[in-house]
Amino acid sequence: MGVQFKLNGRMVESASSPASRLLDVVRNEFGLTGAKCGCKEGECGACSVLLDGLLVNSCMVAIGTLPGHEVTTIEGFRETARFQAIDEAFAKANAVQCGFCTPGMVLAAESLLNQNPHPTEAEIRDGISGNLCRCTGYNAIIEGIKRAAKEGEGLW
Amino acid sequence: MEAFEAIKRPMKRRDHDGKVSGRTRYTDDIQSPDFLCGKILRSAIAHGRIVEISAPELPDGYLIVDHRDVKGDNEVHIVLDDTPVFAEDTVEFVGDPILMVVGPDEREVDRILKEIRVRYEELPAELDPLTATTHFFEYKIEKGDIEKAFREADRVLEETFTTGHQEHVHLETNAMIGEWADGKVTVRGSLQCPYYVFRAVRKALGCRDSDLNVIQEPTGGAFGGKEDYPSILGCQVAVAAVKAKRPVKAVFSRQEDIAYTPKRHPSVCRYALAIKDNRVTAMDIDVTYDAGAYTTLSAVVLQRGSIGADGVYNIPNLRVQSRAAKTNSVPNGAFRGFGGPQTFFAVEMMMEHAAKALGEEPLDFKLRHAAKQGDETSTQGLYHFHVPTPEIAARLEELSHYREKREAYAHQPKGRYRRGIGFSLVFHGCAFTGNGERDLIKSVARIRGNADGTVDVFTANTEMGQGLETTFPKLVAARLGIPVERVRLAQPDTDLVPDSGPTVASRSMMIVGLILRRAADKLKMQWKPGETVTVEEHYQHPDYMIPFSLDDFKGDAYPDYSWSGNVVEVEVDALTGEARTLGCWGVYDIGVPIDEAVCHGQMQGGMLQGLGYASMEQIGYNERGVIRNDHLSDYIIPTSADAPPLVSDFVLNPAEFGPMGAKGAGELPHVGVAPAYVLAMEQAVGRPLYKAPCTTEDALNALEGGEA
Amino acid sequence: MVSYKPETLKEALEIRARENVTPYAGGTDLMIEAEPEARYLFLADVPELKAIEKVDGNLEIGAAVTFTQGLLSPLVPELLKEAVRFIAAPAIRNAGTFGGNICNGSPKADSALIFSVTDSELVLSSIGGERRVPIGEFYLGRGKTCLGENELLTKIVMPLRNVQNYYYHKVGARGALAIARVSFAGLMRVEGGIIRHAATAYGAVAGTILRRPDIDGILIGRTIEEAKKIRGDYLGAMDEAIQPIRGRISAEYRKKVLMNLIADFLNRNGITG
Repeated sequence: MGVQFKLNGRMVESASSPASRLLDVVRNEFGLTGAKCGCKEGECGACSVLLDGLLVNSCMVAIGTLPGHEVTTIEGFRETARFQAIDEAFAKANAVQCGFCTPGMVLAAESLLNQNPHPTEAEIRDGISGNLCRCTGYNAIIEGIKRAAKEGEGLW
Repeated sequence: MEAFEAIKRPMKRRDHDGKVSGRTRYTDDIQSPDFLCGKILRSAIAHGRIVEISAPELPDGYLIVDHRDVKGDNEVHIVLDDTPVFAEDTVEFVGDPILMVVGPDEREVDRILKEIRVRYEELPAELDPLTATTHFFEYKIEKGDIEKAFREADRVLEETFTTGHQEHVHLETNAMIGEWADGKVTVRGSLQCPYYVFRAVRKALGCRDSDLNVIQEPTGGAFGGKEDYPSILGCQVAVAAVKAKRPVKAVFSRQEDIAYTPKRHPSVCRYALAIKDNRVTAMDIDVTYDAGAYTTLSAVVLQRGSIGADGVYNIPNLRVQSRAAKTNSVPNGAFRGFGGPQTFFAVEMMMEHAAKALGEEPLDFKLRHAAKQGDETSTQGLYHFHVPTPEIAARLEELSHYREKREAYAHQPKGRYRRGIGFSLVFHGCAFTGNGERDLIKSVARIRGNADGTVDVFTANTEMGQGLETTFPKLVAARLGIPVERVRLAQPDTDLVPDSGPTVASRSMMIVGLILRRAADKLKMQWKPGETVTVEEHYQHPDYMIPFSLDDFKGDAYPDYSWSGNVVEVEVDALTGEARTLGCWGVYDIGVPIDEAVCHGQMQGGMLQGLGYASMEQIGYNERGVIRNDHLSDYIIPTSADAPPLVSDFVLNPAEFGPMGAKGAGELPHVGVAPAYVLAMEQAVGRPLYKAPCTTEDALNALEGGEA
Repeated sequence: MVSYKPETLKEALEIRARENVTPYAGGTDLMIEAEPEARYLFLADVPELKAIEKVDGNLEIGAAVTFTQGLLSPLVPELLKEAVRFIAAPAIRNAGTFGGNICNGSPKADSALIFSVTDSELVLSSIGGERRVPIGEFYLGRGKTCLGENELLTKIVMPLRNVQNYYYHKVGARGALAIARVSFAGLMRVEGGIIRHAATAYGAVAGTILRRPDIDGILIGRTIEEAKKIRGDYLGAMDEAIQPIRGRISAEYRKKVLMNLIADFLNRNGITG
């Protein structure tokens, strides 16, 4: 009997041991490669997923803690209207360069707006403070999240 | 100017949709049950001879790959050939690759690695570039009459400046896949220069051109960290794949990437200035860069640092003596700025200190000495084109209110929080040094107009976040007068694209873009609806360039220069030394920005890397040559909580030699930030500073009167 | 490899007594050195570990309460929120727990510093019952704690008497994702012109969080004017007591910063020199 949890809206059962990293399980067992490994110690956010709608580093989650909970990866989130708002806002703000941090940043934006639909700039900076980006200097990403909050009025 | 407005106007990035949705597949996202995992066993000591290697018995399907499996030359061609594919006799740094363990299960590969025993005969290790006896390269630049200038000086000032390592922390670590099928080897991965990897792997395999191709996959950042290193890893996975007869994938952990891959060269620069009538008449400069254990890119890095050592200034009498010293540490390599940030840091600090010694406002002092169009460069070439230093300074003043703040902070009370503001002026020489483009690279690019009205662009230049996948098609579409949606950039696969040269040296738009522009113009004339026409164009050396010789460092080192200035404002907590960056401004002349949004993104990204370099990034080697801080918890780069609102702006100074007025952009934004930051810290702590990074500890030391 | 996800505290304690397991709350420390064969006791959903309550003038926080949950609770005082608000980053705070932060045994633990300066007690439970241990006795040095093999930390009991007037500063390496290089918390309660309570705690300087209630005690019972007279003695005694261990950041730096912060703490309370 494997570890059962909800993944992107449907119940799944993982054959991996309960101590396995969620990051490895979503990537290797479920083929969902949107979450990336940047450091394997919770310091970069490239592996970000949502756990019950809250941002977590999937490299720091053992799947045995997941029964009764829901994991959303970028592959699940990208089907939503909220994703569309963030997507368009990021495009207008030119928030993407190499793209490796981007899925994590999108989910960080969702987690932030989910709790705080009208964040200040300082709150946005705090909201993505665990997602490292080496390409953009963060300005454009912050701009993107501001835009998403504004133009996605009513979604959060 | 109307033409410029159109090309500057931002468009949605070509690669946006794939990247934002998580659909874009980077190298580690390419998965197959066929893949074997390859991991490297590395030297545990900084210098020694390999006496014996004992490996456990290997389970079925697992193998060890080492120098004996290299069918060609056990050399990775990176300018010279001293880097081995796998160490044979000696090891030269902690991390020097000795062998690769290959097999289907990663944990089993790890277990085998742990059981392999290497016996060494340890040799003395040199870790200090200043006492190192081997100098890989030595250069000397001389002009005017140095001795006379110093003899006649009113005053001589002498100071020494140091800068440390910088690690790229491209979010995607180094990753390569080697495949072998029917006698053909394919190497694919995260890389900047497919043809560099091609030539290196061909040499290691001893194979024909047709037996090999190299493909660049979507690359999660590089900044120079994937300029030469993929050639090494590429050789290793290729040799492994040939032996295993199955594909081998090697993906570095972050720890491995920090501990064992190239970094920015640390520097020690000693400046002596001769001053007469309140003017700097001569600079006598001594530069040492720490090359690490193999030559790799140190020659060119040192060249660039040496050429830029006198900064943006017109200094009639100059001597630069420089060396790249061998130490038994990780070979250092390319990183945005490529040797420039080190000497620009030193010269900007030195000029500021000189101004202070003479009682003049540093910005005015610097502007007084700034070179103009028509002046001689350090290597007795010419600044052929307009030098917009005054406009840059004026615009920076408008944006940052530098002078007002500088004045205010000069008189601030000594409370808990102290502020400071600093100003720097720099340039970046565009493209390859000297005759490199003409004699070494010989760039070729190709465009094909298809019967259905679409266009394919074939270059070896790589998208790594800097926007080439967007700006190259944009340029070609603009020249052809067709919608950009119809233009595709081919994936850089050496089977498909010609060698347009590496994606380095801020050359892609200026050099390759210019070739594409000519090709597009030609295609426009030749292409008729319903036809397929291919146009190939080659690099053409600009005839205004004064020929350059590396023997005596005379002539035009670069076809053109991009210019910039930076202002950084800080606030320091006098109780703890902690500094907050209140603002960072950069004004840039990159000719004409081919897509302003992409270019602002490049400027801001470079600025933040510069701030990290100036304030918090450092690599700590212990006395055994081991990097202690090889985790992201320990090698720290700026988070969004550390980044100030970055302000970037452009002065429009269309380049004559560049497509639609563009010139080099990618590296420039990093170069001037560190001196602006450290000069701001200098004002805040009230003591002269000589080092980048200036850390929290350094700041507190300086505040409390100690040495910084 | 068997791991367990108990549904009640009783079940958790039974398994803890019977099996060789590693308690796992948020996982944000454990998973850094994760062993694929590890046997975890997953506690994040055990309801008895997730309460935040005010009982008899004390704050009682369940060991599996996450930092984010703590930040959202109106019962948690500002002193504790400030120390937790910028722990690492949101993703860590969403999963990381107060219990995990204490049990990892590090003298750099941000919430542990506050529990220490407030003289909090830890409730350690086993199938045999429970015991309360002052947090100062919980840490044995070198990352070790007195948590028994059969025991789980279930609750932290933090007195709220003295938390109104506080001083807190953490020096991190940067603005987020920053392990403490030096941290300091100070409390002072003045009533009727008399210092009724003074407490200081120092993190990231020694093998355990440093408290010197004996030195803090020389201020208690004095007026501000009297305290000013012995300010020098107080600082001198603390100067001797604080002997930072060497680390990535020099001992000299940590010492300088702490002495600066203590002096500032005194100044803020009118005990100027």
